[in-house]
Amino acid sequence: MSYGSVATAVTARVRATFEMLAPDSLMIYQAAGKLAITFAEDRSGPESSTDILAASLQRGCSAVPNTRIHLEFQDMSAQQIPNLLTLRGGPRSRGGRARGRGRGGPHSGNPELQAQLQKDRDVQSTDTDAAVSRLSAVDLGYLHDPFASLFVNGPGTRRLPIINRGTYTRTTALDILINAFLSHPDSTPTVPQTKQIISLGAGTDTRYFKLRAQNKHRHIIYHEFDFVSVSITKERIMKNNGLLWEDEGEAFFKALETVPGFGEHESEWGLERSKDGITETTYCFHPLDLRHLLKTSKPVRGLRTDVPTLIVSECCLCYLEVETSREVVKWFTSRIPSIGLILYEPIGLDDSFGQMMVSNLAARNITMPSLEAYKTLPDQKARLAQLGFTSEGGGQEAETVEQIWEKWISIPEKERVDALEGLDEVEEWQMLARHYAIAWGWRGTTGWEGLATLRA
Amino acid sequence: MSDLDRAIAQLRACRPIPEAQVRELCHKARELLIEEGNVVTVTAPVTICGDIHGQFHDLMELFRVGGDVPDTNYLFMGDFVDRGFYSLESFLLLLCLKVRYPDRMTLIRGNHESRQITTVYGFYDECLRKYGSANVWRYCCEVFDYLALGAIVLGASNTLEPSKRPVGPNESSTQEYINPDTEIEVLNSEGGLISSIPRQKPKVFTSKGSSPAKTGPPGTGASSFSKGTAGNSSGAVLCVHGGLSPLVDTVDKIRLLDRKQEVPHEGAMCDLLWSDPDEIDGWGLSPRGAGFLFGADIVKTFNHNNDLSLIARAHQLVMEGFKEMFDNSIVTVWSAPNYCYRCGNVAAILELSEDGSGDGIIARSNGDVNRSDGGIMKEKEKVLLNGPARRYRVFQAAPQDSRGMPAKKPVADYFL
Ligand SMILES: C[S@@+](CC[C@H](N)C(=O)[O-])C[C@H]1O[C@@H](n2cnc3c(N)ncnc32)[C@H](O)[C@@H]1O
Repeated sequence: MSYGSVATAVTARVRATFEMLAPDSLMIYQAAGKLAITFAEDRSGPESSTDILAASLQRGCSAVPNTRIHLEFQDMSAQQIPNLLTLRGGPRSRGGRARGRGRGGPHSGNPELQAQLQKDRDVQSTDTDAAVSRLSAVDLGYLHDPFASLFVNGPGTRRLPIINRGTYTRTTALDILINAFLSHPDSTPTVPQTKQIISLGAGTDTRYFKLRAQNKHRHIIYHEFDFVSVSITKERIMKNNGLLWEDEGEAFFKALETVPGFGEHESEWGLERSKDGITETTYCFHPLDLRHLLKTSKPVRGLRTDVPTLIVSECCLCYLEVETSREVVKWFTSRIPSIGLILYEPIGLDDSFGQMMVSNLAARNITMPSLEAYKTLPDQKARLAQLGFTSEGGGQEAETVEQIWEKWISIPEKERVDALEGLDEVEEWQMLARHYAIAWGWRGTTGWEGLATLRA
Repeated sequence: MSDLDRAIAQLRACRPIPEAQVRELCHKARELLIEEGNVVTVTAPVTICGDIHGQFHDLMELFRVGGDVPDTNYLFMGDFVDRGFYSLESFLLLLCLKVRYPDRMTLIRGNHESRQITTVYGFYDECLRKYGSANVWRYCCEVFDYLALGAIVLGASNTLEPSKRPVGPNESSTQEYINPDTEIEVLNSEGGLISSIPRQKPKVFTSKGSSPAKTGPPGTGASSFSKGTAGNSSGAVLCVHGGLSPLVDTVDKIRLLDRKQEVPHEGAMCDLLWSDPDEIDGWGLSPRGAGFLFGADIVKTFNHNNDLSLIARAHQLVMEGFKEMFDNSIVTVWSAPNYCYRCGNVAAILELSEDGSGDGIIARSNGDVNRSDGGIMKEKEKVLLNGPARRYRVFQAAPQDSRGMPAKKPVADYFL
C-alpha cells in the first residue's frame, strides 16, 4: 500500500470526524493550515500510533487555539485506523479531579487497542495529580516553586495536610539526592565536570526550570521523557511563559521529522549550546513512550554517554511492566558507564492499606506492576543491585518517605512545615508515608562522591 | 410527618436540607445542648461510637449494624465532620436525631468540631460547595461550641446480655446463651461471633508505671482486673474524644470548665479533645502539636481516683476498629471504616449492656458537679475497678452502590 492512498482515506475521515466533534476547532486548524497528518515508517507498534492519535485528538477537542494536530500512523491498513469518534476523550482538565476519560461510544475499533489507549490516557492523567499536588504544597508555603502554578489550569485544589507533607517530603528528598549528585568535591578543577540528568516520565515537572532559575544549569545536560500528549502541553506552557530563555550561546530547537510526501511533524524540542564550533544539547524533551525506547532505531538526541548520568524515575517506571522497566534502565546503563538511578514509587502491597491502594488505583484504571515485584525496601535495593548498582564501585540505598521525613528534615524545618497547617492525622501520615519508597543506586568512579555519602 | 421527621428522611437519603432549615435545627440543638453539663451522664445500655468523619454511607452501615435510633441508645465521641465527602449530611443527621430523640443520642465534641480545623480539613469547603455560602458552616460551628466535652456511662453490667439485634437472614439468629464469664465479645457486622474473652482473675494495681506495657492486638490477650465483688454493676466509664489532661485530675474538674467557645490551642479543654494514650511513663509531648501523650500510670491513677473502670475514647485510627490498652483501662474506638477511602481499616462500635440487678437504674442526668465521691476509694486497697462487659461490633465500609444512595465513587489521593 502506498502512503498516498492511505493518506487520502485518512484525511477525509479525520476531517469528517473533526467536523462532527469540534467544528470550531476545525475552523482554526483549517484556517491555520494546521491539520498535519504524517506517517512515519519503522516506528513503534500500532499502540503508539493510536496513542498519539488519541492524545492529539484529546488536545484538539479541548479547543486550544493554534495547537497543531499530529497524527502518526505506522504501516497500518485503512481498516485498522480507529474510528476517531470512539477515541474522543473529554477535554483534559488539569484543575481538579476530572479525569478526562474517553466515553468510548460504539467500539468499532480493535477493543484491545481501545483498552490500551484508555489505559495510557489514564496513566498520563497521573501527571495532573502530581502537578495539582505540587501547586497545593507551593500555595500553602511548603515548597517554593514559581513555576508550579503555570502547569495547573485554574486556581488548583487544596490538598489535605498529609498529602502536602508527602509532596513536600518527596520533592525535598529528590532535591537532596539530585543536589548531592550535582555537587562537586572540594578538589574541583576550575571547569566543573558536566553532569547529565535523565528524567523518565518527567510530566510537567518543573525541576529543570528551577535549576535554570537558580543558575545551576550551566554544567548540566537535562533530558526529559514522556508521552507526546504531555510533551505538547509542556512545550506550550514553556513557550507561553518563556521558561526556556536562551542563555549565552544557547538556542531553542525543535526537531521536525520529515516524512516523504507528507511534510513534517515535530519531535524533540529543547535548547542547544554552541561553543567553539561544537554544538551540544543542554535540555531536551523527548516525546516518546518509554516502552518503545527499546525498539526505536532513532538515536536519542543529545544523549551523552561519557559524563556521569543520573536517571530519575519519580513515579514513572512503576507504571511499566517489571520486565520493560528493567530493560528501559538497562538501555541506559548499557550505554553509559558512570550512571545512577533514583526511584520514587509506592511499596507495601501486603497490608490492608496497600491492598486498598491497589484497588483504588484500579478504579482509576491504573496498575503498578512494580508493587507486586518490589514490596519492601530490601526488594527495592535488590532490584538496584540487579540493575548493576552493586557495592563494587557503587552502591544502593532505600528509605521510606516516613523515615526521610524523620531523618532528613531538620528540626527547625519540620517545625516550620508543621506550623503551616498543623497536622492532626499522625497515624494516617505514618501509614501513608510508609507506603512510599525512595531508592537510589550508582556505579562509577568519579562524580558520585556526593551521592555516596548520603545514607538512608 | 413533622418537619423534623421529614428532614431526617431527607438526610438519611444523603440529601442536604435547605439552609433555613439548618438554621432552625441548629438553633434548637443549641437550646438543648446548653442544658447539658460538660460531662453528660448516660445510663447503659449504650452503644459508644468513635470518629465518623463525614463517611455518611458508613454511618448508615453503623446504624444497620448497631441498630437504629431510637431503638439503640447512642453515644458518639466526636469528629463527625472533615475528611469524608459527606460531613454535612452526617453531622446534620446526627443533630436531627439528637433533637428528635434527646435521650437516645449523646454527642460529644471532637477536635474536628472546631472552626479552625474544619477550614483545613474539608467541612468548610463542603458547606461552601453545597450552599454557595459559609452560613451553614457558621451555624454548625455555633453548635460545636455547645457540645459536651465528655460523658459518664453508669449502670453498665459486667455480664453480657445475649445480642438482641436481629442478624442477617442466613445467620443463626439471636444468641441464646452468653457465658457469664465473658468480658469481651467481638462480633462481625452480621452478629456472628469472632472472638470471646473470659474475665480473668483480679489483680492489684501497683501504681507508677510498673504494668506490662502492651496488650497486643485488640481483643486478644486481654487481661482485666476485677474487684471480685458481688453484684453486676461495674465502675463508671468516662467517654471523651481524645484523652486526659495534666490539668485535670478529677472528672469534676472537667465539669467546671467553661466549654462554650472555640477549642482553645492549649489548656484542659484542648487536651481532652487532642491527647493520646501512649506507651510512656507519665506525660509526653504530642506529635500532633496539641494535647499530650499519657501513659498507663496516668490512666490507672485517674481511673482509680475517679471511680472509673474504663475510659473510652476515639481520635486515633485503629486498623482493627478498636484497641484496648493498659490492662484494659482505656479503649480506642474507631468508627470510620476504610478511613478516607484509603486506609483499608475496619471500624467498631462498643456496646455496654444494662446492669440487670436493679440498682443500676439512674436517670439521665445532665451532669451535676460532685457526682463522684473521689475521696472514698483512696482509702481502699488499690484495686482497679471491674470493667463492664464489652461487646464490640466490627464492620467494614459500606458497599458504595448498594442502597440507593449517591454512588459516587470517592477517589482517594495518592502521591502519583
Ligand atoms: C505520576 S506522573 C509523575 C510526573 C513527574 N515525574 C513528577 O513527579 O511530577 C507519571 C508520569 O509518567 C509518565 N509515563 C508513564 N508511563 C510512561 C511511558 N511508558 N512512557 C513515557 N512516560 C510515561 C506519565 O505520562 C506521567 O507524566
